[in-house]
Amino acid sequence: MTAAIGVDARVTGAARYSVDVERPGMLHAAFVRSPYAHARVRSVDVSAVPGGCVALAPADVADLGRYGCQARDQRVLADVARYAGDVVAAVAAPTRAEARAAAGLVAVEYEELPAVFDAVAALAPDAVLLHPEAAASAEEEVSIGVRPVPGTNVCHRFRLVSGDVAAGLAEADVVVEETFRTPSAAHVPMEPHAALAEWDDGRLTVWAGTQTPFNTRADLAGLFGLDPERVRVVAPPMGGSFGAKTFVRTEAVVAALARRAGRPVKVVLDRAEEFVTLNRHPATIRVRVGALSDGTLVAKEVDCWVDTGAYADCGPGVATKLGYAGVGPYRIPHVRVEARAIYTNLPPNGAYRGYGAMQSVWASERTMDVLAGRLGMSPLDLRRRNLLRDGDRFATGEVMHDVRFDECLQAAADAVRYEADPRGKGLCVLLKGMQTPSRAAIAVERTPVGYVVRSASCEMGQGVRRSIQLMAAGLLGCEPGQVELPDPDTDVSPFDTRTTSSRSTHMMGRALAEAVADLRSNGGERGFGEVRDGGGLDPDTGQGIASTHWHQGAAGARVSVDEETGRVTVEHLHGVAYAGHVVDRAGAELQNEGSLTMGLGTALFEAIDFSDGMVGNSNLSDYNVPALGDLPGRFTHELIEREGAEVHGLGETVLPPVPAAIGSALHSLGLHLRDLPMTPERVLAAVDARDGRAGGNGRGGRDGRDGRDSGAGRA
Amino acid sequence: MTIGIRLNGRHTALECEPTDLLLDVLRDEGLTSVRETCGIGVCGACTVLLDGEPVTGCLTMAGHARGREVTTVEGLDGAHPVQRAFVAERAFQCGWCTPGFVLTAKRLLEENATPSDAEIAEALGGNLCRCGCYVRITEAVRRAGAEMAKDVPPNNTGRKGA
Amino acid sequence: MTLGAVEWLAPSTLREAIAVRAERGEEATVVAGGTFVGILINQGLLSPSALLSLGDVAELRGIEVAGGELRLGAGVTHRTVERDPSVRAGWPMLARAFAVVASPRVRNQATVGGVLADADYASDPPAALQALGARAVLRSPDGERAVPVEELILGWYETCIRPDELLVEVRVPPSPARAVYRKFRSRSSEDRPCVAVAAARDEARLRVVVGAVAGRPQEFADVCAIAGGREIDAALAAEIARGYADRLEPIADARGSADYRRRVAAVEVRRALEELAA
Repeated sequence: MTAAIGVDARVTGAARYSVDVERPGMLHAAFVRSPYAHARVRSVDVSAVPGGCVALAPADVADLGRYGCQARDQRVLADVARYAGDVVAAVAAPTRAEARAAAGLVAVEYEELPAVFDAVAALAPDAVLLHPEAAASAEEEVSIGVRPVPGTNVCHRFRLVSGDVAAGLAEADVVVEETFRTPSAAHVPMEPHAALAEWDDGRLTVWAGTQTPFNTRADLAGLFGLDPERVRVVAPPMGGSFGAKTFVRTEAVVAALARRAGRPVKVVLDRAEEFVTLNRHPATIRVRVGALSDGTLVAKEVDCWVDTGAYADCGPGVATKLGYAGVGPYRIPHVRVEARAIYTNLPPNGAYRGYGAMQSVWASERTMDVLAGRLGMSPLDLRRRNLLRDGDRFATGEVMHDVRFDECLQAAADAVRYEADPRGKGLCVLLKGMQTPSRAAIAVERTPVGYVVRSASCEMGQGVRRSIQLMAAGLLGCEPGQVELPDPDTDVSPFDTRTTSSRSTHMMGRALAEAVADLRSNGGERGFGEVRDGGGLDPDTGQGIASTHWHQGAAGARVSVDEETGRVTVEHLHGVAYAGHVVDRAGAELQNEGSLTMGLGTALFEAIDFSDGMVGNSNLSDYNVPALGDLPGRFTHELIEREGAEVHGLGETVLPPVPAAIGSALHSLGLHLRDLPMTPERVLAAVDARDGRAGGNGRGGRDGRDGRDSGAGRA
Repeated sequence: MTIGIRLNGRHTALECEPTDLLLDVLRDEGLTSVRETCGIGVCGACTVLLDGEPVTGCLTMAGHARGREVTTVEGLDGAHPVQRAFVAERAFQCGWCTPGFVLTAKRLLEENATPSDAEIAEALGGNLCRCGCYVRITEAVRRAGAEMAKDVPPNNTGRKGA
Repeated sequence: MTLGAVEWLAPSTLREAIAVRAERGEEATVVAGGTFVGILINQGLLSPSALLSLGDVAELRGIEVAGGELRLGAGVTHRTVERDPSVRAGWPMLARAFAVVASPRVRNQATVGGVLADADYASDPPAALQALGARAVLRSPDGERAVPVEELILGWYETCIRPDELLVEVRVPPSPARAVYRKFRSRSSEDRPCVAVAAARDEARLRVVVGAVAGRPQEFADVCAIAGGREIDAALAAEIARGYADRLEPIADARGSADYRRRVAAVEVRRALEELAA
């Protein structure tokens, strides 16, 4: 992306993204989407599609089988539509406009089936089953040990058992129980999903905006019956992703169209389609926690209903992470977690910045506020008393190292001057894991003017390219500008698990050190380095190694509330991330700001509105993302560093604590919010509840919106 | 149909229909800084300058641009104070929204080189950045303004040239 | 989104424009700034076969004050209204109501005529114009009529403009000394309003118009009449606000439920009246 020093392609307009890829002779694709949330496709009639167009129906691709990164439950074109927006047919035409017009001419007959839109309701004995046959596990490179419950809509059940939680609760002096809900939300990357597929002599090449080139290669190879080496995935930079552009989204359909057409086929989704492609997991989370009267935590139960939508995608992984993150960064002798990823007839939910941590941190940390209230303790003191320290065991059995939770929490408290006066102020401290197990490899080669570094880390704005350049330059003793970094290309980039989980700077940094050592030790021309982290959790006990190292952070908020309208003003928001060793300071600060800003949207107004499974707000006027004017008057953040520490990923860390910190601040004012987002309407209902009023709108429904379901179930 | 406009300083004959969107027409001319993003004029990523004023590329028909001056960031020389300030402050992450911010800031600062924070927020409110670079973007605007203020002669009431 | 072959009618005089309008009627969609029609086309809600563009009709872009009355050409942009010295001096509440719409970029294109003819329930200017007693001038080959805003906007995206009429001008009588516009957003700072209130008071009359809560701006003259000629104190403000809350039948949308809107409308009406009295 960087041309000459000081001139950056991002300000000159020269930056190219995945939507800009073009190939000679390419056609453009458009998709036919089911208007029904659950329906069998009885027939697809493409006879009205003009000649010169290519059209595919489910029967044309049935032989390809199924794909899916953790459970193989998706077909290239749905013969049973499982959500409103599911792709049941596809066309390709010389122009995008013609393709869209042609898609409108495909006549599909549906036979409607009963549908379910709520993860808890999906577990009712008579609930319709979305996938009557449990899908084959994808046995991906980083298998998480998927545990479906046959005969139900549970596609994965994660369990963590440590100690004896019943005994623990019996010992407790105080037990509190609360249930929380979070809705579905949209990533809203500014650049939509884009992919272009081309076949050449039985070899498939796909250019795609993606964070997961090797996963995508594996799935495409599996679908088309090819050796992985016969599939090439190239990942140009993306205009944002935040998890949306992970695993196979549009790539399989365009590959099938391209194969039929004998020409390259490209698709670029429009904004409405973005809302039915991949969203954030809604969750209902019940927390029960017991403590001694001095505030020592003795037992905790966390039950999570995680709505993974119509297809599993990485829902099992999200449910697992959400589950153990819900324990929190605390020493608790008796813990039981059960997190279930559950199918519903909503668009699939998948990786979303935080990967489940936001949802369970909201529930867990808000429960700490309630517990503090019951104990008559300061929320800060209650947390401090129980924080994990170096050498403690986490509920997964692993021994914690390089933990700085106390420092993070204290920094947040200090920033908002919590101890001087806690009224109107809230805190949150969190623990989040990094994808484990995982593997990263990198190759370095000398060139006449510097070096070329080959890495499969995908650029989406997080600055991984810059980080790798800086680290490589530091190790090789050259200028960052002398380090060439081609786009990820599975033909030439060494294997990397994927660009998710805030792992890339850490993992590629370690791999780079190996690669440079290798280069130095054998002539200085080329070197290769690879890092493999083992670990993972037993899905039936939750024991093992959840994370090679921990993402640790905190947030503090100070708020004021207009108690006549419920409007919350965040006066000060402060985020703290433990960075360990900082590679690119500006980049790290930008990630903190970005995470905090996205967290504000999550906390205060972002939610996809569903009505009978149809998205009601699939545009940026009806779905708001934070704008410049939404920044708090005081908006600060810090990186905690430690000499000699490893790089700790922080691309997501300070998003999850934002809603809980704001919720905690409201709690200090007697306003107990359990559901996100904390809209003025909900805050007003909390004011009414606090003041003992029935209220003009009461508690009615989840947010009082008539007939609308924000996609989160009731326990 | 041919529609003549002055595009980034050059007279250009667009081969298009008057009802074609400026967004599409400009991208066909190779100006990929103009980006389809929301389709309804709220995000600002397709902002172009029409006679020096920001307009929404995805809602402006080529027919409305006939005979007028259209500017995209490709028409700046890469060293405009706003562009240099964005680079100096690293006021971007993925960069998708950056051209829209640059053009909008350029116009703001031509009118008022020393805007208050409130004036900056007001002027840039219609440009969304999902990566969340608003703090640095505000710094970049202030920085560029400080430089541009030095160039404005006293009693200047006219618009600076593009 | 490209439309393919759509007829583009771009008259350069008002006379021509009216002739084309009368000839083609509803079959040619009128477009001025394009910010509304553009959205409908991009969202696939409108596929016109012909567009009647008013962009070249210079006569529609005038602003003048004649006999104390403000006359805004239908082609005047929001940005122009917000910045015009005469408007800011004589109709500051109107300048403000236009200034809070969307962003400067949108205001560079959206027009006075367009925002009224679109009759979008969440737009700011219609409620403000109604509270100020504005009238829309509708001209056809047979003549013209001046219609108050409350008679112009009939409901959801529906006006009384006939197929042979064009909205050419908006006339606003001298503004009362006290006039306020309040815009309550329930989500982001760029959100469209959840509830908006325009209030204006002179010796003769108090007008309170609530926008964004229903298909058309909501005004209850009988409730406002409670004020009589009295000073508006806290109690009176609350009484009028309660009257509005009782009468409103708000919609639910992404910005709030009906009940919430009703509740906030009461607060915002009361606050608008308090501001008026201050």
